[in-house]
Amino acid sequence: MENAGSAPPVLTARRAGVLGCAQCGKVHLPGPERCARCGSVLESRDHTSLQRVWGWMFAGLVVYVPANVYPMLRTSMLGKTTDSTILGGVVDLIHHGSIGIAIIVFVASIVIPVAKFIAIAYLALSVTHRVRLSPGKRQHLYEVVEFIGRWSMIDVFVVAILSSLVRLDFAATINPGIAAVSFALSVAFTMLSALSFDSRLIWDASEEEDA
Amino acid sequence: MTDPRPATPEVSGPRRSIWRNLSLVWLVPLAALLVTLGIAWQTWAERGTRIEITFENAAGVTPEETTIRFRDVIVGMVEDVTFAEDLATVVIGARVDANVAESLPENAQFWVVRPEVSTSGITGLSTVLSGVYIEAAFRPEQGGSAQNFRGLDETPLVRPGMDGTRITIRADEGTQFSAGAPIFLQGIEVGQIETPRLLERGNGVIVDAFIQAPYDRRITTATRFWNISGFSVNFGPGGLDLSVNSIASLIRGGLAFDTVVSGGQPVQQGYAFDLYENEEAARDSLFSETIANAVELTTEFDESVRGLEVGSSVTFQGLRVGRVTDLGAFIEDTADGQEVRLRATLSIDPRALGLDEESPQADTIAFLSEAVQDGLRARLAAQSLFNQSLVVELVEIPDAEPATFGIFAQDAPLLPSVPSDLPDVTATAEGLFQRINDLPVEELLDQAIDTLAAVENLADSDGLRTAPDALVGLVNDARGLIGGEAAQALPEELRATVAELRGVVEDLRAADAVGQLVAALEAAEEAADDVAGVTTEFEGVTEGVPALIEELRALTQKANTLDLEGFVASAGSFLDGANRLVDQPSTRALPADVSALLDEARQALEELRAGGVVENANATLASARDAAAAVEEAAVTLPQLSARIEQLLGETETVITGYSANSSFNRETVAALREVRSAAEALTRLARQIERNPNSLLFGR
Repeated sequence: MENAGSAPPVLTARRAGVLGCAQCGKVHLPGPERCARCGSVLESRDHTSLQRVWGWMFAGLVVYVPANVYPMLRTSMLGKTTDSTILGGVVDLIHHGSIGIAIIVFVASIVIPVAKFIAIAYLALSVTHRVRLSPGKRQHLYEVVEFIGRWSMIDVFVVAILSSLVRLDFAATINPGIAAVSFALSVAFTMLSALSFDSRLIWDASEEEDA
Repeated sequence: MTDPRPATPEVSGPRRSIWRNLSLVWLVPLAALLVTLGIAWQTWAERGTRIEITFENAAGVTPEETTIRFRDVIVGMVEDVTFAEDLATVVIGARVDANVAESLPENAQFWVVRPEVSTSGITGLSTVLSGVYIEAAFRPEQGGSAQNFRGLDETPLVRPGMDGTRITIRADEGTQFSAGAPIFLQGIEVGQIETPRLLERGNGVIVDAFIQAPYDRRITTATRFWNISGFSVNFGPGGLDLSVNSIASLIRGGLAFDTVVSGGQPVQQGYAFDLYENEEAARDSLFSETIANAVELTTEFDESVRGLEVGSSVTFQGLRVGRVTDLGAFIEDTADGQEVRLRATLSIDPRALGLDEESPQADTIAFLSEAVQDGLRARLAAQSLFNQSLVVELVEIPDAEPATFGIFAQDAPLLPSVPSDLPDVTATAEGLFQRINDLPVEELLDQAIDTLAAVENLADSDGLRTAPDALVGLVNDARGLIGGEAAQALPEELRATVAELRGVVEDLRAADAVGQLVAALEAAEEAADDVAGVTTEFEGVTEGVPALIEELRALTQKANTLDLEGFVASAGSFLDGANRLVDQPSTRALPADVSALLDEARQALEELRAGGVVENANATLASARDAAAAVEEAAVTLPQLSARIEQLLGETETVITGYSANSSFNRETVAALREVRSAAEALTRLARQIERNPNSLLFGR
């Protein structure tokens, strides 16, 4: 596999027989368990990283199911209570003609979380399997996933704000549904999953291939 | 490879076992999975039992929105609305809370609650905003597992689960009640009726009713229901009776019931009652029906029983003692051939006869048998003056032909009957009506109309309008005339005139005008002989005498023909006419002032009649006096005239003597003399008449 566009082979810390602190970057000779400067655990590679990635991701997936199945919003208006799921809300918005908002909600609530799941799974798999994408691009993808993760919470924020603002008793009341909690958990789990990924593994794999 | 290489090629951490390698992070998805599964299970467990309700239509029912409520608590949610296979009905699938579904019996009722405005009030107002919901009503039964129900089209008036008694009410027609009409017990609403429905045979209406507990304890087999719809107006011996029950029952209709007598048995659910038209009928119906030992009697009538029907009363001295239970015609063989007899079966209540309630029938029959020997008879009588209903009256006729109970049936002795006096009443009434019919009402009316038209014409005519004024003027004139001095002085003048007339007549008599006339004639006869010589000379004289005579006669004629009589007659007839006019009722009805005016007119006319025609009389008297004066003057000159005539006659005598007795002159002279004589006679007659009746100058009588 050609590493087109990727950095040229460099001497890594592991190859050099030293290990760098993941926190502060200080290079240590093998031996000490903890970083002499910041005290964090010194590991050449995080062997549990992939486990944690998968673990958090499964957790996120599990809670993502009820987040879509159960109602996100419970709207009571003049005695009429309407439950709306995420997808149902999108459909309602389309029916009401608010295509733009519908797209935003759809992207933020469906596309991004799903894309994150796929991206994380892809990255995790790329460590142990051969993939087409060059390590550089995978690193880039990883950074994007990590960056965008927090923005998935936009849905949860909307629900939280609506729930606290729209409290007009009989006239109109909005309550968060089970899905809101699930969704928040799902986002949190995927963020943790992304965080758990040791991006150095991307490069190890490519080096092994190169070697 | 030119790159410098470190001494130690690889750095690797200590290798740990697979279990030690296993990260604790896996607990997180595990926990998440457990929680999610837990939530899913809870949701599934809580979604309830699915039931299906069949409705005629699904008005307003929306899946996932329409709730199912029981006692106004939400117990379920409609899941879907579909058609039955044949599209004839709508099947509403719903999820009901499990604990409710467990107690759902098969007869649970479901209906759609929607806003409804009826005479009973407004219901379901809350559904205007929230949308319809399905209300369930049932009596919870543990272990109920029914899942298919038939929904009601309308809100049931009586919900299962309410305590009370369901009964059925039979009525002839359903006009008097509408669904939901109240049932009253002594004015308190204790129940409701449901929608009336026709009997299958179409000969009546039945309606289910529900009496709430604890009022349902008041219902026994002796209970009677009656209709209190609207209001009733009764006109009877007690006067006018208008009774209106509650306003609600006026609109919705309503029933009332009461249990008047004790002894009824408690009723089961669904017991059927008859509906009576009014309270009176309901109470009347209580007699006889509740008595086990009522006595049946049979009686036969020879007359028409029109108006008698099954259920008609049997009265004894005005008291109801039983009722007619059967009525029919029977053909009976008699000596004269077959004969139709009308036979009525009477049921007599022993209690009404003063016997013990428990007395056996035989005792009652024995009692009645004795009464029959004493003259107890059955007779038809009119129930009231205003309708044709008949009752059977038991009367005691002491001088009735002796009779005993006949035997008609085993336990229905034949009670002898007597003819009623009904036909007489009818005949009298008919006669009365006939007489009223025969009254010439039309003619009377026509006449009245004609009279009124005539009166109207009269009143409209200008003559009558001006008449009052003219009458007033006349009356005033008459009053002035009567009050005038001339009228007052009239009697005196009359007396004077009469005296003068008498004097004239005396003078006439004293002058012995007739005798002198006769003498003059005799002398004239004598003179006629001598007259011959001076015939030509006396031509003018003899011509003058007839002229004088003519004048006298004319005067006499004039005096004679004064049309006093006609005037008085016409005045009298006018008075009569006025009198009649005043006497007419229509005239009396004229305004009082007109009446008074007519009265005045009458008075004036009376005065005229009494004092009457004063002016005319005055004038007449004046002329009469003139005439009298002239007569007197004439009478004064009469002797001279006689003398002159005598002289003339003496002279003519001589002339006549010269003529032959049969000459034309002689004949003329004789005629002239006859005329003179008749004139004299006329004068005498006039004088006598005036003497005999001076009034005749005034009144012509």
